[in-house]
Amino acid sequence: MANIMNDSDQIQQEQDLVGSYFLELWRLKSNRTADSHEDEEPEDEEESVPTELDTLNSSGGFSIVLPDKLSVRYPSVNLHGHDVGVVQANCPAPVKRLFYYFEIYVKNAGAKGNIAIGFTTEGYNMRRQPGWEANSFGYHGDDGLLYRGQGKGETFGPTFSTGDTVGGGINYASQELFFTKNGQLVGTVEKDVKGRLYPTVAVHSQNEEVSVNFGKDPFLFDIKSYEAAQRANQQTYIERISIPQTASYGIVRSYLQHYGYEETLNVFDEASQTSVPPVTGFHDNGFNEHAMYALDHRKILRKLIMDGQIDDALRNLHELYPETVQDDTSAICFMLHCQKFIELVRVGRLEEAMDYGRARFEKFYSLKQYEDLVKDCAALLAYGEPSKSSVGYLLEESQREKVADAVNAMILSTNPDLKDRRNCLHSYLETLLRQLTACFLQKRLLNGNQGEAFHLQRVLLAKNN
Amino acid sequence: MSLFWSVIRQLAEIEAMATSKKVITREEWEKKLNDVKIQKEDMNKLVMNFLVTEGYVDAAEKFRMESGTEPDIDLATITDRMAVKKAVQSGNVEDAIEKVNDLNPEILDTNPQLFFHLQQQRLIELIRNGKVEEALEFAQEELAPRGEENQSFLEELERTVALLAFEDVKNSPVGDLLDISQRLKTASEVNAAILTSQSHEKDPKLPSLLRMLLWAQNQLDEKAVYPRITDLFTATLEDPSV
Repeated sequence: MANIMNDSDQIQQEQDLVGSYFLELWRLKSNRTADSHEDEEPEDEEESVPTELDTLNSSGGFSIVLPDKLSVRYPSVNLHGHDVGVVQANCPAPVKRLFYYFEIYVKNAGAKGNIAIGFTTEGYNMRRQPGWEANSFGYHGDDGLLYRGQGKGETFGPTFSTGDTVGGGINYASQELFFTKNGQLVGTVEKDVKGRLYPTVAVHSQNEEVSVNFGKDPFLFDIKSYEAAQRANQQTYIERISIPQTASYGIVRSYLQHYGYEETLNVFDEASQTSVPPVTGFHDNGFNEHAMYALDHRKILRKLIMDGQIDDALRNLHELYPETVQDDTSAICFMLHCQKFIELVRVGRLEEAMDYGRARFEKFYSLKQYEDLVKDCAALLAYGEPSKSSVGYLLEESQREKVADAVNAMILSTNPDLKDRRNCLHSYLETLLRQLTACFLQKRLLNGNQGEAFHLQRVLLAKNN
Repeated sequence: MSLFWSVIRQLAEIEAMATSKKVITREEWEKKLNDVKIQKEDMNKLVMNFLVTEGYVDAAEKFRMESGTEPDIDLATITDRMAVKKAVQSGNVEDAIEKVNDLNPEILDTNPQLFFHLQQQRLIELIRNGKVEEALEFAQEELAPRGEENQSFLEELERTVALLAFEDVKNSPVGDLLDISQRLKTASEVNAAILTSQSHEKDPKLPSLLRMLLWAQNQLDEKAVYPRITDLFTATLEDPSV
């Protein structure tokens, strides 16, 4: 097929790609700040968690959920196997995590101690012990057996009775259920049910009474150690995987190249060549040669922007890479003009900022793709202490860095030898981390949404890797 | 799309259907990748963590200036740690022991295995330098008593002393002890102990994440066919293949 695009069209298209990518990054920050709380648990893992017992679907006359909605009692005399008092939690156990766990405390084992803890699916027959029917699991107090899907139990653990604390858990990594008694692990069983599981308790003889702890109170079972052990277990599998010894060096090096951290790069290269033994093997295989492109210019421009010298940065760009700033309404020009405005606000030159905004913002304001961001910038003028306002993020170092990264990518995109244009957006490190995150998410998606996502921030905060 | 690639694609789909794996095309996968947002700040921290843990103190200092990323440890302590490491690497074990004790005497007090390995390295260096008598004396006075406390120490001591029994040490069964890798092993052990004493992780996070990537891909391979990355150096996304 003939290439019908001429060169300037093509350049325009690449710049749009870079520009819109960084505007998107900016917008992310803008929206996120609106919701505040950025240092809390990483994003969008919110799921409803059981908090109390379900009073609507519990098995009517056979059990009574007490007003605290955390205790259940069997008030009458049981007559047969179809008058069990089963109660589920008010929602299924959450799945987007490593494991789920809850405990019950046996206040009174009643006449026969027919108490059970387990998991059932939606629509379970609430007059039958968990474990007796298909798609259910139950650890029973009177015989210590584990029932799963039939009336016959398997040898499992000790019996439990008045004064005992018993726990049930789902391990999504190993796809197993586990049960505990008085803080000790009793055993595990394969979770061969696909649907969502409800934490479930059952009572089945006169005066039996149990209370449930969905995590409001500390558990008797040490879930922290359990989690640590599970993670350590996974980690041993991961550590067995071998990677080329110099992979990390190569990736760090290309990161420094990509973002134009030239001074760090030089010192790093020198150190890795003079170390004992010298680190070799990644310099000479033509690895990432294009990332050296315009390294010096990129370094200078980054420094200017990080120092707030926006006029100088613009002048530099006009001189060295005029094609990147040709169109005064381009995303890159927009970001630089905004930054200039932000720098004026930062040093308190508000009148100048106002004049600058009036002169520059008007043409951006009429362009839909910038409207919200122009508003964010202009809003800086409304506050006595703008850094504490909802648009305070604009005054953070990270905003300068975003502009610097955008200019850096823009210069990289002018490299005539660049093969894949998207390479100017992402360092290899970022590409690898995105792949890692996507693999975790995809695996979870194919696994009924069960299990953890990958969060770089969690890894960065962890003290032991 | 060329014929070749469409044939490859078809083959991949047939293979996947046979094993009931989900097929994710390059386009679909790239869309998923684009939805993943990695914070620049976090990548900076990752790089800083690597420089600091691996002891690139000058690079860490420059990186702090160029990227504005704060190191998670006092950079001055890296210099001390690297001096110890370097001393071991160049065979000045006595000097290294002194430096570790200057840093924090508890490191060797609470870590008998590390102390033994340093002493063993000292013995190796004496033998390397042909100081036979001094080596024997050192082995008997300093190392043998420790061997009595611990069976594995004793075995290592015997192996080391055996260096004296061979004419052509390099080709002997214990020749590996004279190898540079033995020095590096000891150096990295002392490096890890110092980091631990500073309540810092002994390994950088980056290599661990790279392993995790390969592990996660292996896990996903069981359920899906999708574009993988096998070359960590170029981070190239490969077309899903049979």
